[in-house]
Amino acid sequence: MRHVFLALIMLFGATLAASAQTLQPIIQSHVEEIASPSRNSVGVALDDLVASGLPQVTDFLEQWVEKNVWQSGDGTFFIAAETDNVLTLTDIDTGEQRTAPAEGFTQLKPNGGVRRVIGTALVQFQLSDPDLTRRETAVASIARRPEAAQMAPLLASIDGETDAALKTRKIQLANLLSARFAQTPTDRIAAIDSLATDTSVEVRAVLNQILSTSSGVALSEPDSNTAAIIDPFLEPDVSYATLVEAGLAPARQTAAEIKGALEANIVDGRIGGLPLVQMDNPDARVAAYGALAADGKVPELITESARDAALSSHLFFELYDEPNPDITQAAENALASVETRVAAAQTVDLTLDALSLASIFFLAAIGLAITFGVMGVINMAHGEFIMMGAYTGYVVQLFIPNYTVSILVALPLAFAVTFAAGVVMERLVIRRLYHRPLETLLATFGISIALQQIAKNVFGTQARPLTSPDWLAGAWIVNDVIQISFIRIAIFVMALIFLALIIYILKRTRLGLEVRAVTQNPGMASSMGINPNRINMMTFGLGSGIAGIAGVAIGLYAKVTSEMGSDYIVQSFMTVVVGGVGNVWGTLAGAAMIGFGQKGIEWLNPSNTLAAQTYMILFVILFIQFRPKGIVALKGRAAGD
Amino acid sequence: MERSFFAKNPSALWFLLGLSLFTIVVTILSEASGTALISTSFLKTLGKTLCLCLVAIAMDVVWGYCGILSLGHFAFFGIGGYAIGMWLMYARTAEIVVTSLENATLPPTPDEITNAIGGQIFGVVGSSDFPVIWAFSHSLTLQLLAVVLVPGLLALVFGWLAFRSRVTGVYLSILTQAMTLALSLYFFQNDTGLRGNNGLSGLQNIPGLEAQSQATVSLWLFWASAVALGAGYVLFAWIVSGKLGSVIRAIRDNEARVRFLGYHVEGYKLFVFTITAIVAGIAGALYYPQAGIINPAEIAPIASIYLAVWVAIGGRGRLYGAVIGAAVVSLMSSWFTGGGAPDINLGFYVINWTDWWLVLLGLTFVAVTLFFPKGIGGLFDLLQKRKGDAP
Repeated sequence: MRHVFLALIMLFGATLAASAQTLQPIIQSHVEEIASPSRNSVGVALDDLVASGLPQVTDFLEQWVEKNVWQSGDGTFFIAAETDNVLTLTDIDTGEQRTAPAEGFTQLKPNGGVRRVIGTALVQFQLSDPDLTRRETAVASIARRPEAAQMAPLLASIDGETDAALKTRKIQLANLLSARFAQTPTDRIAAIDSLATDTSVEVRAVLNQILSTSSGVALSEPDSNTAAIIDPFLEPDVSYATLVEAGLAPARQTAAEIKGALEANIVDGRIGGLPLVQMDNPDARVAAYGALAADGKVPELITESARDAALSSHLFFELYDEPNPDITQAAENALASVETRVAAAQTVDLTLDALSLASIFFLAAIGLAITFGVMGVINMAHGEFIMMGAYTGYVVQLFIPNYTVSILVALPLAFAVTFAAGVVMERLVIRRLYHRPLETLLATFGISIALQQIAKNVFGTQARPLTSPDWLAGAWIVNDVIQISFIRIAIFVMALIFLALIIYILKRTRLGLEVRAVTQNPGMASSMGINPNRINMMTFGLGSGIAGIAGVAIGLYAKVTSEMGSDYIVQSFMTVVVGGVGNVWGTLAGAAMIGFGQKGIEWLNPSNTLAAQTYMILFVILFIQFRPKGIVALKGRAAGD
Repeated sequence: MERSFFAKNPSALWFLLGLSLFTIVVTILSEASGTALISTSFLKTLGKTLCLCLVAIAMDVVWGYCGILSLGHFAFFGIGGYAIGMWLMYARTAEIVVTSLENATLPPTPDEITNAIGGQIFGVVGSSDFPVIWAFSHSLTLQLLAVVLVPGLLALVFGWLAFRSRVTGVYLSILTQAMTLALSLYFFQNDTGLRGNNGLSGLQNIPGLEAQSQATVSLWLFWASAVALGAGYVLFAWIVSGKLGSVIRAIRDNEARVRFLGYHVEGYKLFVFTITAIVAGIAGALYYPQAGIINPAEIAPIASIYLAVWVAIGGRGRLYGAVIGAAVVSLMSSWFTGGGAPDINLGFYVINWTDWWLVLLGLTFVAVTLFFPKGIGGLFDLLQKRKGDAP
């Protein structure tokens, strides 16, 4: 594609060349600078080449940078490709090709500095190149390494830009460049002001660059652009180091230096007249050092009070590297405005994160809310059902390589597998333990231990991937601050669907009616012709099946391991208990509270997610003190117990 | 006339006799006595098992007698271990540091020594400063107090909060499990000052006892564990017999009725919860010097669950049941997972017990819960019944 395109240019160039001049003579007029260029001298040649306005110039410069330009013995330049000592020569102006042996030709090898200069000159051509991708590449390269020289060509290329997105980008970039490099302060301030509404990392970087400071120290305040006066006693040692660096004070001896000096001056088991055995006392060490200093053997010890005196007799300040206070003021204002916007965006981002976490907790807990909340059965193997669902997804992917299809197959299959497991468990174990809730808890623990170990034996200890389809791979990016991956959105949507589905099943179907009847009064329900055994079995299966589907969803964004269930079980129980047992809305409220709470704590202490979990659990323990029945407490007789 | 304690608790007498006999036999067979029929590492295993038995009877009292299924007692056990571990590690490191600084040109200042110890201990988590919680680590007495006070206070505060708001049954279990999870997450963090997931190590080197061989030290620790177990057994036997024991059991069977009879149920529960937590802490403090290392994985929620498993298999509601359960299951665990059990070749699949032991344990546990709620201890009832039927 590119070659066709180059050929087109050349053709175009050739027709033009017929009327206008050719490139070779211009090159020949700078043969010295081009054949052996240096960073300083090449500019002259480039200026002339650029000034010629010839279409061949772009290609020539590109090939030059790529080291594809060769000079023949008679001084003519060619674009050439070498294979086995044979050169395929292309005439710079006509595009005519011929081959020649490489002997007698010299390859031009511009060094890195020269190539950068050429690259900058090239930018102006690339910025107006008819090919969109080349223009984008040029813009991206400017963004990577912004330089003052690129400003003019960039500004010039904006008007002719046909692609709307790229034009916006160019304007943004031009603003960034003008903010730093524009000629007059007014232009710079105008550009800086225009950045105030942009929250991108780039803009913040540029503003921070304009506001970059260096610390200084003097006896009185300097009349340059001061950013801040620093209280040296906030960090006295750091400030003193500045003082030492500025040559305004002698360096303080470090503990190791003092120790070294003492060790070097041991005379007959005494240092400065003090016996060596006393040296385990820091005061004695100071005294000995003082004695040595009095003898002139070591420099005077700078004590803390001497340091403080030096600090208070000097003025410490931060100076802007930018001398113009108007510009730094404008940048400060712009940065403040940007940061307010960033903070707002971060709040939105945090809320989205919290929503996503809440929906994960909700998915993990909703099955439990049914078995525990509605049936009053503690299922400690619930986490293992989540794990079974995730492994089902993994196994399905082994057989169906298409990720979209495999996920669509895995979801119902995971439901089926865990539904069956739940029904089996209910029939074999839980049915015998109704009315003995503590023992249900223990028995399901046993099952949980066994299931976990079986999974470990079958699938090994290493994490198994559950790959999401490509269309879920990316992230929804609003701006540089707000972005959320599609998987998390999918999990959120899934949580909503489940909520609707469960509410529907419980409130609108025959099964739901019977479940509620059995929950409220099994005796009465069975005398109305409902088989409580069947209903319990179905309910338990339903709760387990949902755990299986949750497992597939969780597996998509976390790794699938045999221990993944235990990561969720305590959180899930907390979600159900905090929300209020026996109520799906309660679970939703509980998940929201734990999700938002955890993200909130994480925000206060961003480095430490473990701490966030710890404090969230403590918070939940305390919360239960005040609302033992959870957020959404059942009222009246149904609250029972 | 008031009957004597042992007359009311014949099992305590039998237990003490058995324990003494066991201790004497193990001592005679140990390496320290010269016969060396029991290796030091196995001696340590036996000593550790005694500590596990001690925490198991604590668990039995709180669960089997008082009906509180606590899933946090192994966390108290771990805290006890950490409390003693801090002293062991500090004192041991201090000895090493002081020895290494002896040959320095200048005698070291206290600051230098502290910094060197800090660097040794906290180097693994990239720090050399002593965290606040290590403030008493130089003193054995204070750390021994911490062994008792930290689990005790934690249990007291947690229990007070939980019982006051009438959190009972499975809710309480889940709440204690949450507490355990929070604790283990806390210990896992590098910046809480307990060396994160590295835990504390080198605890088998008891400062001040370097002159003794590991065989002797292990035997002493074994004796200490045996004494602690005996004392703990008697203490708990005393608590669960008599009037106090009746009230505690009544709370298990019908809390509301006991409350209506005018008893201050929360107070009793709090007492049982706290005292068992303290005993768990003491057991941990004896266990980890024999284990040599403690890390946060030890106090993960699953450990407390295993504790409940031991007690359930041994037979809850009887102290010797807990001892039997803890001893049998923990020794079998190390036998199976240590590769002691022969593989079973089914022709199409070889059952390797290191992999399948937990499956067996889990399923056994389910079976015990379903079919033998009295556990192994229930067998004694059968024996007694048969004896009673005979004449």
